[in-house]
Amino acid sequence: MGVGLWSLVRFLHVTGAVLWVGGQLALSLVVLPLSRRMLAAKDRDAFAARVGRRFGILTGALFLPVQLGTGWAIAWHKGVTWASLGEPGYGRVLATKLGLFALVMLAAAAHGWAHARHRPDLARALAVASLVGSLGVVLLATALPAT
Amino acid sequence: MNELDDGPKADGRRQLPLLQPADAGPSRFKRSGVRSRHLRAHVLVAGWAGLALLAATAQGTLPVARWLAVHLFLLGAATTAIVVWTEHFAVAMLHAGLPDQRLGAVRLAGVNLSVAGVLTGVWAELPVLTVTACAGLVAAVTAHLFVLVRMGRGALGGRLAPIAAYYRTAAAALVVGAVLGGLLATGAAGAHGQSGLRLAHIHVTLLGWIGLPVLGTLFMLWPTVLGVRMHEATTTTARRVLVCTGGGLAVAVTGLAADLRWAAVAGLAAYAAGLAVTARLLTATVRRGRSPVSVAAAWSLAASAAWLVAGVAFDLVLLATRSETAAQDGVDALVPLILLGFVAQVLVGALTYLLPIVLSSGPKERAGLRAVLERGWAPRLAALDLAVALLVLPLPAPAATAGTVLAAAAALSFLVLVVAVLGHRGRPDEPSRTPVLLGTAAAVVVTVLAVLVAGSGGTGGGSDVAAGQGGGGVATTTRTVAVSLGNMRITPSRIEVAKGTALRLKVTNRDAQRHDLKIDGGPATALLSDGRSRTLDLGTVTADRKGWCTVPGHRAAGMTLDIVVKGGTGSGATGTDDMAGMDGMHSGAHGRSGDSTGSTPGTGPDLAAGFSHGWQPRSAALPAAPVATVHKVELHAVRRTVEVAPGVKQEMWTFGGTAPGPTLRGKVGDVFEVTLVNDDPTMGHGIDFHAGSLAPDKPMRTIQPGERLVYRFRADRSGAWLYHCSTMPMLQHIGNGMYGAVIIDPPGLAKADHEYVLVSSELFLGTPGSTAQVAKMRQDTPDAWMFNGVAAQYDKAPLSVRAGDRVRFWVVAAGPNDGIAFHVVGTVFDTVYKEGAYLLRPGGAGGSQALDLSAAQGGFVETVFPGAGHYAFVDHDMRHAEAGAHGVVEVR
Repeated sequence: MGVGLWSLVRFLHVTGAVLWVGGQLALSLVVLPLSRRMLAAKDRDAFAARVGRRFGILTGALFLPVQLGTGWAIAWHKGVTWASLGEPGYGRVLATKLGLFALVMLAAAAHGWAHARHRPDLARALAVASLVGSLGVVLLATALPAT
Repeated sequence: MNELDDGPKADGRRQLPLLQPADAGPSRFKRSGVRSRHLRAHVLVAGWAGLALLAATAQGTLPVARWLAVHLFLLGAATTAIVVWTEHFAVAMLHAGLPDQRLGAVRLAGVNLSVAGVLTGVWAELPVLTVTACAGLVAAVTAHLFVLVRMGRGALGGRLAPIAAYYRTAAAALVVGAVLGGLLATGAAGAHGQSGLRLAHIHVTLLGWIGLPVLGTLFMLWPTVLGVRMHEATTTTARRVLVCTGGGLAVAVTGLAADLRWAAVAGLAAYAAGLAVTARLLTATVRRGRSPVSVAAAWSLAASAAWLVAGVAFDLVLLATRSETAAQDGVDALVPLILLGFVAQVLVGALTYLLPIVLSSGPKERAGLRAVLERGWAPRLAALDLAVALLVLPLPAPAATAGTVLAAAAALSFLVLVVAVLGHRGRPDEPSRTPVLLGTAAAVVVTVLAVLVAGSGGTGGGSDVAAGQGGGGVATTTRTVAVSLGNMRITPSRIEVAKGTALRLKVTNRDAQRHDLKIDGGPATALLSDGRSRTLDLGTVTADRKGWCTVPGHRAAGMTLDIVVKGGTGSGATGTDDMAGMDGMHSGAHGRSGDSTGSTPGTGPDLAAGFSHGWQPRSAALPAAPVATVHKVELHAVRRTVEVAPGVKQEMWTFGGTAPGPTLRGKVGDVFEVTLVNDDPTMGHGIDFHAGSLAPDKPMRTIQPGERLVYRFRADRSGAWLYHCSTMPMLQHIGNGMYGAVIIDPPGLAKADHEYVLVSSELFLGTPGSTAQVAKMRQDTPDAWMFNGVAAQYDKAPLSVRAGDRVRFWVVAAGPNDGIAFHVVGTVFDTVYKEGAYLLRPGGAGGSQALDLSAAQGGFVETVFPGAGHYAFVDHDMRHAEAGAHGVVEVR
């Protein structure tokens, strides 16, 4: 099977996930620690806030629509039905993956909210939870049988 | 700042430099090095404990989860804590130099990676990983032991130096425990050694690896926590107690592993005596007054020590008074006591006191951290101890549930406090780590739960779809098969079903040990204790499935089940499609050839195994016919459990206590008067002698339990005849053993040097009359084929003749379904007598190779053995020969 339309859809879905999870990892492990070390306290908070806002906009405007759209298309292509989501095997793995993804998105949204309310500890906990949870989503995605 | 502030200034000098290595100077760098090491180690401890809690919540749904929960906690959390703290205290008590910290980190990583490997290996059933990880654990702990030993050499030593010996003994105990655990987890111990080794493993790990370091540390930690002077007798007592406990444990563990009960009890008694001495010393310490440094820690330590004493005392009573299997159950029931009451509580107590010391950089910070860890200590302590009591005492089920919830709540609340302390800001400008830890923990918990949900219900989606399609045209039959678990086997070990059958398994544990049954990609039972049953609904079976007991090691020891799909022979009852019928015939034929694989050693009875001690073969020798012309026999229909294949016992329905029943022999014209007495209290029986001819109505009628019947017939014609039970369903009555042979000599029968009678039949294992067993009879898929009622018996007890002897083999095929092609390897028959006529007599040019008999036919063959050697006699239908219809004539 060559590269066709459906490979393109899968490519978009996988790349979207890579960018989102990878972006979070890069921010938490590289950018923000460096900013804490290199920037003065005032700049640092402003920087972190700007980074968070931009990443949030990217998520809401690009990442989420692309993931939901391509994900929906792949499920349709595979013949997934609402009923099949409850069945053991592919359906159930997909359903839990969707559930975990929803929780991750909730945590990410709550992170923005906590940040805005100046609850830094809660915001950080939610950011980490969102990151680790999205790794869980990737794990479940790899458990979905190929094709 | 001085780390020793907490230590009592008992004997005038700077006492108890316990909490700082001797050479750790005040340098901020080193200080923070120690702290970050402890921080990392305790993040690991908390992580393992959190996972253990998670596994404990899944106990109900995943049977392996109980094992996982216990090992995540003890092997993960407790072991990491013990490795870190024993090294820490050994340095302090021996006044030794700090061992290389990089190597220390490697050792700790080695321990943790090995533990992760062992847990993954057992969980995912990867024996290679389990064994490798076990070896890794042994290596890492040996390295730890080596460091402890080397530390003792050339160190300054001190009053508390003997305590380091506890740590060394403990490390040795873990090495033993890990080896035993590896043997158990991979099933290498075999079925018989399993329970003894398991007890040895439990004792050496709990009382050795965990008990000894705790005991040793208490000598020093208890007075420190109480803030009092150490008892003068501590050093000598510590030395003596180690001899008692360490030595006693070694004897006890050897005794348990070698099945020497008295040695185990004596060793455990010595251990208990050591505990008692320690308890007296520690109690004496309490009376010395002053307010404790940490009341919370003191109470936790005291409670945990009390549980240890109680646990060992119970254990001693169990081992001394109960049978091994009962003791095993009892010890299992003690696990929550030791695990929660002792280990969890000692961790709570020790960490409450110690964590603030190693993680803080000043008295103020220390007090703050301690306040965090002591938050709500009294209710937490009460909850945990109440939980242990609820779990251990024989109370109704809701009490145990309440205990589990209480214990989980107590453990979780302490874990949260530990996370808060581990995550606290070291310096004011440093960001707090608590949110990171909590966020990670929350997400990990959710992810693990998600993975569990995703994996639940198996991955049988594909086959379900296929079943749905197949079920459209063909009527589905439902079969319920009784499956019993015990003696490291699942019986039956092979179930054959027609494709499309809806299969239900009624699983019963018939073993003192607990077992379960998990069907690959299908349902699983909970852990069943002795006598408990569960029904597993497998739905429509369209493909071969495997099942096994998930208790670690049991699958490897042989507890496996094969569900094999045969072609649509049993399902197409209403099918009118010719092609489907053809298909059924075709796969039916294929299925028969599959029988041989099903019954080769490994899936059927293991014919290479030995018979039980005291087993006697049934003599095949046939005595000459008595001179009398009237033969009176009384036959009792009784049930007997007999050894039907090496090591395999089966309840048989018999005439006269044996299957086949006694062989009757006479001459043409003799009269047989047979009195049948039905001693089977559960069902009617009858009898049918093929050798006589008479109207069946009365003499072959079924008589009820307790009744008698006289059956009289004259043998008008010669032959090798079958007699069998005449009660319906005869398939079951004959299949369960109610058959025998009547030999009526043809007139002028020549003399032979040896005469043997061999009755061939099929063996159907399982509860007689059960659905599973009857299904095997109906489908003619026996577990073995037999001569004279025992598979392979004349392989173990060969018939013995001399070279040149003429030997006559009388053969009767009892079935119930299969006939026989009787052949003696290495010989040619010169005489064949089948169904009342000679087919071949000596003197002619012809020879014969096999006597072919259908079910219920008989005859004899004669041959002369040419020279010394071992001649096999077989049913030359090789499926039968390789599955029990095989014996040996030893020619000298």
